[in-house]
Amino acid sequence: MEEQLEPNEMIVHLGPQHPMQPGPFRLNLRLKGETVVDADIELGFIHKGIEKILENKTYLQGITIVDRICYLVALVNEECFVGCTEKLLGIKPPERSQYIRVILDELTRIQSHLLGMGEFGEFIGFVSMFMYAIREREEVLGLIDMVTGARVTHSYLKFGGVRDDLPDGFKEKALSVFNNLKKSVDDFEEMFHTDRIFRERTVGVGVLTADVAKNLGVSGPVLRATGVPFDIRKNEPYLVYKDLDFKVCTETAGDCFARVQVRINEIRESIYILEQCLDQIPGGPLFPEGTMYGRRTPVMRVPAGEVFHRVEDPRGEMGMYMISDGSDKPYRVKIRGPYYPTLQALPPLIIGTTVADVASISGSMDGCTSEADR
Amino acid sequence: MTIVVPEYLAPLIPWVRGIVGLVLIGFIFVGAMGAVWLERKLSADIQTRMGPCRVGKYGLLQLVADAIKLFTKEDLKPLNADSLLFNNANIFMLGSVFLMLVALPVGAVFINGVEYPLAVTQMDISVLYIEAVSALSIFGIFMVAYGSNNKYSLLGAFRNFARMVGYEVPLGISVISVAAMTGSLNIVDISSAQGLHWNIFLQPLGCFVFFVSLMADMGRLPFDQNESEEELIAGWITEYCGMRFGLGFFAEYIHMILGSFLVALLFLGGWNVPGFIANNSVLGLIAPTGFLIVKVVFVLMVIIGLRWAVPRFRIDQVVDLSWKKLLPLALLNLVWAVGLGLYLGA
Amino acid sequence: MVLKNIKYAIRNITRPPVTRMYPEKPSELSDRFRGLQILDKSKCIGCGICANTCPNAAIKIVKAPIAPGSSKQRWFPQIDIGHCLFCGLCIDQCPKGALSSGKEYAKGLVKWHHKDLLMTPEKLAREVDLEKGDER
Repeated sequence: MEEQLEPNEMIVHLGPQHPMQPGPFRLNLRLKGETVVDADIELGFIHKGIEKILENKTYLQGITIVDRICYLVALVNEECFVGCTEKLLGIKPPERSQYIRVILDELTRIQSHLLGMGEFGEFIGFVSMFMYAIREREEVLGLIDMVTGARVTHSYLKFGGVRDDLPDGFKEKALSVFNNLKKSVDDFEEMFHTDRIFRERTVGVGVLTADVAKNLGVSGPVLRATGVPFDIRKNEPYLVYKDLDFKVCTETAGDCFARVQVRINEIRESIYILEQCLDQIPGGPLFPEGTMYGRRTPVMRVPAGEVFHRVEDPRGEMGMYMISDGSDKPYRVKIRGPYYPTLQALPPLIIGTTVADVASISGSMDGCTSEADR
Repeated sequence: MTIVVPEYLAPLIPWVRGIVGLVLIGFIFVGAMGAVWLERKLSADIQTRMGPCRVGKYGLLQLVADAIKLFTKEDLKPLNADSLLFNNANIFMLGSVFLMLVALPVGAVFINGVEYPLAVTQMDISVLYIEAVSALSIFGIFMVAYGSNNKYSLLGAFRNFARMVGYEVPLGISVISVAAMTGSLNIVDISSAQGLHWNIFLQPLGCFVFFVSLMADMGRLPFDQNESEEELIAGWITEYCGMRFGLGFFAEYIHMILGSFLVALLFLGGWNVPGFIANNSVLGLIAPTGFLIVKVVFVLMVIIGLRWAVPRFRIDQVVDLSWKKLLPLALLNLVWAVGLGLYLGA
Repeated sequence: MVLKNIKYAIRNITRPPVTRMYPEKPSELSDRFRGLQILDKSKCIGCGICANTCPNAAIKIVKAPIAPGSSKQRWFPQIDIGHCLFCGLCIDQCPKGALSSGKEYAKGLVKWHHKDLLMTPEKLAREVDLEKGDER
C-alpha cells in the first residue's frame, strides 16, 4: 500500500473511529477518484486479552468473562463455554434445561439479526430503519429480561443446567410478542423488496462466491447467502436441535441483498423453532439428578483433557478449544470467533467498487469487532 | 406600488431601508430555526420517539440553546487549510440565499380588491433570477470542501459538483415550461395567472420533475452524497466548527424554506383565493398570506419526511438519474406545456 | 417505488412515542433484576465463599456488629460497588442463602468519593439509609 502513489490516487483511512463501523478497526483504502484500488485491514484496537484472563479465573468466574466476548450475543458465548466444560466433566443437562437454553439462544438470534438489519439500513443512509428495528428488538429484550434478569451480560447458565426456571406467564407473553414480530418482519421485508433505491444499492453489490467463502473460513449467514447450506445446528446438533424441525435458509446470489434476505428468513425460522419449543418443553428438574451440580456450583476440579465444542452464533460458527490440567482453572481456552474470517473476506470484495459501496458491503457482514479482537 | 415621500423625510430613506432589511433577515433566521425545530420533531414522530421536549414548551427554545452553543465554541482551522477559501466560503453560502430572498414574494395583501404582493423587489425576470442565484451556493460548498485540506471533504466536494451539474438542467427546463405556459417570467404573474386551477393539475409531470430536481439542488436526502454521514464523517463541512458551521447549517435550511416557497408559488397556486375573500376588507389582508404559509409548511413537511423515510443513492446512480431519466421527462413536459399553452391561449 | 417506505413512515407518526421519561418516571424493572445485594445478618456465618467467588474480587470480609448498637462483632461481607459486576454469583454460591438481590441500581449508589462506594455490612443489611451521603 505504501508504494509510490500515482498523481490522482490517495490513501484514506476509514479509521478506528468512524460512524459506520460496528467497532474499531482500521480500513486503509487506496482511492483513485472514488474507486477503491487497494484495501487493507488492521485489527487489534479493542483487544482485551480475554483468553489470558480466562486462565486465571475459575470455571464459574469464567462464565461472567465469556459473556463479554460479544455483548450482543452473550448467551450463545456462554453456551459454548459451558458446553465445553460439561463435555470435560462428563455431565449432561436434563431435557428441560436444554429446552430453556435453546429458547434463549433463539431469542438472542432474533434480536441480533434485528440489530444487524437496522444497522445495515443505517449504513446506506436509511437512518429510520435503525429506529424501527430497535423498537422491535426492545420487545424481544424484554422477554430475555423476564427470564434472566438482565438485558445484556446475563451470566445465566450454570454447569449442568440454568440458574432459574422460566417465569409464570412467559409463554403467553412470548406468543403475543411473536405475533407482532411476524407482522413487523413482513413489513420490513416488503420495504426492502419494493424500495427501488435500496435495490439499486444492494443487488449485485459485493458478490461473494462459494469457493472464496469456503477457502477463507467464512460461516454463518454470509456463507449461507452464497448457496452453501452449512448450519451447525443441522450438521453437528447440540442440545435438543435434533428433535426440532426447521430448515436452513440459503440464497444463491451472494450479494448484499441476499445476506439481508437470509437474516430475515432466519428470524422467521427462529420464531418457528421457539413456538415448537414452547409447546414441547417437558417438566422436570433443572439439574442432573444424583450429582452435586445445582444452582450452587460445587468446588470443581475438572478432569484433565482437551475438548472442542462449537455452536451456531448468529454471526457464524463459534468454537472453543479448552485444555484442562486437572485443577480448578482452565489451562488454556482458545476462542474461535466468527467475525475474524468474515473481516478477511472484506478487502477482496471492495476492490473495484466505490467508497459508498464500502459502507454497504461492510454493513451487510454484520459484525461485532469486539469478538474479532477478543 | 409607489409611495410618495415628503421632502423633509428623504434623508431618512436609507435608514428605513436598512432597518427593513435587518428585520427581514431576522425573520428569515427565525423561520430557519422554526424549520429545524419542525425537522427534529417530525423525524422524531416518524421514528416513534420524542424530539426536543425539555428546553421550553415542546422544545421550542432548543434552537436558542443550540445557537448559544455554536457561538461559544472554539474556532479551529486545520494546519494547511487555504485561508482565502476557508474564511470566505460562508459569504457565498449565505449570499446566495439572501439574493434569492430579494426577489421572492412572501405573500400578498388585497386592499379594496387590488392585489399588492409583498416582495422586496419585483423584476420582470424574477424566476430566471432566482434560478441563477440559487446556483451560487455551489461555490460556497466547494470552497469549504476544497480548502479544508481533508480527504473526506475532498471526496464530498467532487461529489457535489457532479450532482449540481446534472440537476440544474431539469430544474431550469421545468421552470421554463411553467413560464412558457403562462407567458411571463415574472413570478407574481405566474402565481396570479393560476387562479383556482393550479399548475400541478395542468402539469403533473413538470411538478414531479421540479420537485425531484429541487431536492437534489438543495442537497437533501436521498441526494446528500456530499455530506453522507456514514461514509465521509460529515463530508464537506467536516472541518468547520462553531458559528461557521452554524451559518452553513442555517443557509441549508433557509434554502429549503425558499425552495418550498418556489414550489408553492409555481405549482400550488400561490396566494390565490376565491373572489369573495379578496373583496372582504379584513380577510383580504391576512387570508392570502396565511394560505400561502400553509402551503409552504405542507411542502416543507413533505421534504423533511422524505429525508427520514428513504435510503440514499450512490453518486453514480444520482448522475445516471439526472441525465438519463429526468432530462427526457423534463423535455417531454416542455413539449406538453407549450402545446397546452397554445390550446389554452387560443 | 419508495411508496411502502413513505406509508410505513406516515403510519408511525400516529403511534405513541416509546421514549421513557427518565428520571421523572423510573424504569420498570423485571422481577429478577439484580440490583444492590441485601444481607441477612442472622444467616451469614462469615465463611468467605462469596469473596472467593467474586470474579472481580469486589467483596472483602470485615468485622461488623451483629445489630445496631450491639457490642458483639462477627465477620460480614463488604462489597465495593465500583468493582461489582452485579452478576449474582455471590448470591448463588452462599451456602446459607444470606445474600439476596435488591432493586437499587442508581439512587443512593452514585457517589463522588471512592470510600462512599464501599458498601459496609450496615448498608447491605439496610440498617442505614443508602441515600445519605449522596452529596457532591
